[in-house]
Amino acid sequence: MDEDQSSEETTFVVDEITTVIKEAVESTIGNSSYQHSKINQWMSSIVESSLSQLTKLGKPFKYIVTSIILQKNGAGLHTASSCFWDNSTDGSCTVRWENKTIYCIVSVFGLSI
Amino acid sequence: MEEYHSGDEVSFSPDDASNVVKECIEGIIGGVDYSQNKVNQWTASIVEHTLTQLVKQGKPFKYIVNCAVMQKSGAGLHTANSCYWDTTTDGSCTVRWENRTMYCVVSVFAVAIAL
Repeated sequence: MDEDQSSEETTFVVDEITTVIKEAVESTIGNSSYQHSKINQWMSSIVESSLSQLTKLGKPFKYIVTSIILQKNGAGLHTASSCFWDNSTDGSCTVRWENKTIYCIVSVFGLSI
Repeated sequence: MEEYHSGDEVSFSPDDASNVVKECIEGIIGGVDYSQNKVNQWTASIVEHTLTQLVKQGKPFKYIVNCAVMQKSGAGLHTANSCYWDTTTDGSCTVRWENRTMYCVVSVFAVAIAL
């Protein structure tokens, strides 16, 4: 019977998604310093490559990927999310990444179809 | 069956959601200055109130509400969203609000539930 396998494929697996996102961020801004002129490109690249890697996983989910890039300047930033969904199948994960000049926060929300 | 008046598919109305969000933000941080020890409370209240108001509308949607509050201090902030969903029924809206001492960005994502 394939029942166990199919239930694993229809729940949101945080570890797998975290790995996918970390790779997408590292490969886009891994060694760079904050540069105002490149930000738009970086942002688009991070969300698009994350989303295409996630859809390649082939699971029956709708995805929302949100990304924030903040220059390290001493400013305070606070974020919060609230979700109304099906707890047994849907989930989210947030990856916080930083280097010497940039903070990058990427959140992925997965909603099962 | 005549259960739904306006057809079987309900789509997301960004204008309605945007009004709900603006009222929530104004009600919580309308006339105040950035305060480090209160900001956690504010972001939590904003997302919870917004979510409650949206759910009260009774539409067949799952919601995600995201809020970011940032102190005005000259730093650069950039955000981006990318979504993989059904474009005929799902949608999002983002509201940017500011006062003298802080910026607040709230995004609402609504994903239709298949009935």
